[in-house]
Amino acid sequence: MKRRLTMGVAAAAVGTLLAACGAGGPGSGGGKISGGKLTLGVLTDLSGVYADLAGNGAVAAVQMAADDFQKKYGDKAVTKKIDVIKADHQNKPEVANTQAREMYERKGADALFDVPTSSAALAVQTVAAQQKKLYFNTGAATTELAGKSCNAYTYEWAYDSYMLAHGTGTQVTQQGGKNWYLIYPDYAFGQDMQAKFTPAIESAGGRVVAKDPTPFPSDNYSTFLLKAPTLNPKPDVLGALQAGGDLANVVKQYDQFKVKDKGVQLAIGLLFDSDIRAIGADKLAGTMFTTAWFWNLDDRSRAWAQRFQQRTGQLPTFDQAADYSAATAYLEAVQKAGTDKAESVSKVLNGMTFDDFFARNATVRTADHRVTHDAYLAKVKAPAQATQDGDYTELVRTIPAAQAFDKPSPDCHLG
Amino acid sequence: MTSFLQQLFNGLVSGSFYALLALGLAVIFGMLRVVNFAHGALYMLGAFGAVVLGDSAGLGFWWALLLVPAALAVAGMAMERLLVQRLTALDPLYNFLLTFGIALVCQDLLRMKYGSHSQPYDHAPFSGTVDLGLFDYPAYQVFVLAVSVAVCVAVWLLLTRTRIGTVVRASTERPELTRAFGIDTRRWVTPVFGFGVALAGLAGVLAAPMRAVNSDMGADLIITVFAVVVIGGLGSVFGSVIAGFAIGMLQALGNLYVPVLSQTSVYLLMAVVLLVRPAGLFGKEEHA
Amino acid sequence: MILGLMRRLGDRPAWMRWGLLAVGLAVAAILPWVLYPPVATDILCWGLFAVAFDLLLGHAGLLSFGHAAFWGGSAYVTGLIALHSGLPFYVAVLGGAVAAAVLALPIGYLAVRRSGIYFAMITLAFAQMVYFVANQWSAVTGGENGLQGIPRNLPGVDLSDAFTFYYAALPVVLLGLAAARRIVRSPFGRVTAAIRDNTDRVRALGYPADRYKLTVFTASAFLSGLAGGLFAVNHGFASLQEVDWTTSGKVVVMTVLGGIGTLWGSLVGAAAIVRLEDWLSTAGFEQTDLVTGGVFIVVVLLFRQGLWGTATRLLRPRPPAPPTPDPAEPADPDRTPHLTKR
Repeated sequence: MKRRLTMGVAAAAVGTLLAACGAGGPGSGGGKISGGKLTLGVLTDLSGVYADLAGNGAVAAVQMAADDFQKKYGDKAVTKKIDVIKADHQNKPEVANTQAREMYERKGADALFDVPTSSAALAVQTVAAQQKKLYFNTGAATTELAGKSCNAYTYEWAYDSYMLAHGTGTQVTQQGGKNWYLIYPDYAFGQDMQAKFTPAIESAGGRVVAKDPTPFPSDNYSTFLLKAPTLNPKPDVLGALQAGGDLANVVKQYDQFKVKDKGVQLAIGLLFDSDIRAIGADKLAGTMFTTAWFWNLDDRSRAWAQRFQQRTGQLPTFDQAADYSAATAYLEAVQKAGTDKAESVSKVLNGMTFDDFFARNATVRTADHRVTHDAYLAKVKAPAQATQDGDYTELVRTIPAAQAFDKPSPDCHLG
Repeated sequence: MTSFLQQLFNGLVSGSFYALLALGLAVIFGMLRVVNFAHGALYMLGAFGAVVLGDSAGLGFWWALLLVPAALAVAGMAMERLLVQRLTALDPLYNFLLTFGIALVCQDLLRMKYGSHSQPYDHAPFSGTVDLGLFDYPAYQVFVLAVSVAVCVAVWLLLTRTRIGTVVRASTERPELTRAFGIDTRRWVTPVFGFGVALAGLAGVLAAPMRAVNSDMGADLIITVFAVVVIGGLGSVFGSVIAGFAIGMLQALGNLYVPVLSQTSVYLLMAVVLLVRPAGLFGKEEHA
Repeated sequence: MILGLMRRLGDRPAWMRWGLLAVGLAVAAILPWVLYPPVATDILCWGLFAVAFDLLLGHAGLLSFGHAAFWGGSAYVTGLIALHSGLPFYVAVLGGAVAAAVLALPIGYLAVRRSGIYFAMITLAFAQMVYFVANQWSAVTGGENGLQGIPRNLPGVDLSDAFTFYYAALPVVLLGLAAARRIVRSPFGRVTAAIRDNTDRVRALGYPADRYKLTVFTASAFLSGLAGGLFAVNHGFASLQEVDWTTSGKVVVMTVLGGIGTLWGSLVGAAAIVRLEDWLSTAGFEQTDLVTGGVFIVVVLLFRQGLWGTATRLLRPRPPAPPTPDPAEPADPDRTPHLTKR
């Protein structure tokens, strides 16, 4: 598996290199790399709901990127020493805030990666700007990171709620699911998803017959499941925008209330492999959802997934794959810039187009630091079709990078 | 009209869980004046018990329904003997604090072993629906309601028709008087505690086929159940049970008609009850 | 019991009291040199929160399991004021604390109608309601994204450095602590302590016991609000974690660990828990609840006087045992802080 890293504008790179050399003022001492080494920090959830999705697998992915980088460049590498450090944010924003500061300030982290949970990611984003160090988000879904809260030090590498909602809403409607009944948990994530699903469905020629907020958290969805087939016109699709434990409740009860037999298909806003494992692939077989990547996508993905599995004993999630992709891009950018100064590295990254096993047809947008790349409408495989344990996902169609993500938000002004 | 009745039925099903948990809390409170904060964690353990029996021993739902509450009853009695009893001479708030600590530890141990995400449960009985005349309803959920009502009725018979029941009820509702009559209530403390815990475990097993099984499933539920027993009146076993079913129905109707309030409705009702009848709808004024 | 309390408060010789004060101030002054400054500021915030909580639990015998509503409610209001008005952060924090006190009035009014365990369950339930409102009302609170970007405004002073901010926050905390101490020592505090020990007798003496309880509840909420507002400014955001029931549980753990009714013990308990959590998460040990829950169980079972109570007992000769132990009283009353009338 070879990584291709093509520069968008070669001249920009030359300019950046010159600028980087010029920027090596008195503070940077002898080497261009502060402290003579690079430190990559993985701030993640090691114990909570996202520990499977990100967690130690994310740490392993970043470590793998560092190892591959050193193997590739050997003596020509900008530094011979790359440390990977980790911390647990427990999905609590204040812990994320303190840990991020501590990693940047005291442990010398040059860049942070991962950070699932939107509130934690938003907190880390602020710290990154204060410390003038880079942060690559792969774990959090809120579009606010590249919208109202965006800043010059943060990059969004993997996915966001627009990608999830727009992909599923548009594609499922185009495939014949014209009438929708949306149920969304009544909190920021659910409200945000609903606000993005509805226009996606309508612009694809579909109709939202009804939409109901559901209590969060809740363990009883019978009200909505009984209501679904009685609506007029009868919906073709039940769009469930719940996540985690709530989603497991919806699906278990969708199954018991036999809503599918009454002609209402299930589409899901946010579905991770860990959710499929928790709910059972048999209950979810045929359910459509949008994902940023899955390991069984093609040979390139499988090759990387196999290496990852040899290291960790588990198959990678899209978040972990995105961590590898982001860490590799960061290291390559440092190599090109010849310094770990955030502003210089940023100049290399901005506007870059690339294509790796994770991000296909990818562009690092200069305007808001979102990385656009192909996304995938997928459905859950029936257990009988799975080739091996952990093979849950089947590609329905590829959503081209240009359509997968929203255009840059007018609220974003990179400082 | 049909949808209204359907909602009431939904409410009864979710009320079944409130009622079973409130019943367990109330009998324990009756004997010990202790509110068991770990009740939600024990409910969670019940659901995990069903999952573990199914996955590792291959024992299905019916075995779980039998074995898990029994095992939790033993665990509950051990908990009472080893920990709770040490503090019964003190202010009951110390036991509230103790059981809070136990809940934290239980949840984190489960999280350590199984992570925070939900566990699949593949042994659900009754996959079909039954025709209730006006509408079809999942057979399993009808079963849950039937079991819950049966258990509440059985406990009611136990409390009113047997000598043990009389002692327990007397010490629940008139603790000073019962002691004044020279009835030794202490020998019943441990078994009653175990019984209350078994009820939480039973609710947990019943939840496994229809709800997400994860380490946090009990924590959110128990706070609602606290509101339920404040509304019903903890001193009254029947009040707690009836409040459980009633609040299940209130929430279901809230979901349909005023979704914004469906979650806060319980607490608003609690506020009203505290204004009008501070001791709860069925409770008596007492110092607790 | 009242005598016992007065002994507890009054028997420390003057040199010891001044000595303790000096040591305390010295520790507060050097803390950010010894600890990572943001963590030091966290200790200040949680310390004030725990003292405010002990004002209610230890000195009025009311166990609130819903204090997150006040800490978190103030965090949101403080954040909104700081974000939208640009006023100095002191004003924002004060506004947050006032909001917490206002929120405490209806909750307290309803909750003081019941005592003991009911009080705990009722406060927990109302705090959960505050949580749901904060979660649903995301247009104002940011929902689960949190209210981000709360500035540390202070005209003429750059507070972006955590080290500087610690010293800017310290006076607020010291004032809060002084207020708590003043309340405990006041005639008002004596009455609340008497209500804790024997409500009926105090009622019989003609004091409106519920009004006293509501007042101390509101005062505690105000001080909790000061702490929560500072915390929000320290971290630059307010999140749902601040109104979560686990936050209510955390302050209970801190106060019990420090020693119920010792006031200053709560500071020690808060510092111990914040340090423990920081250490655990830095050391990569993820089971924080397991450790704090376990420590808490041990303290409740064996060291009910907490760190401070145990330390002062060891430093002081034990008073002679009462001649005829009352069988209704706890086995060893001196070891077990009195909570409420049984």
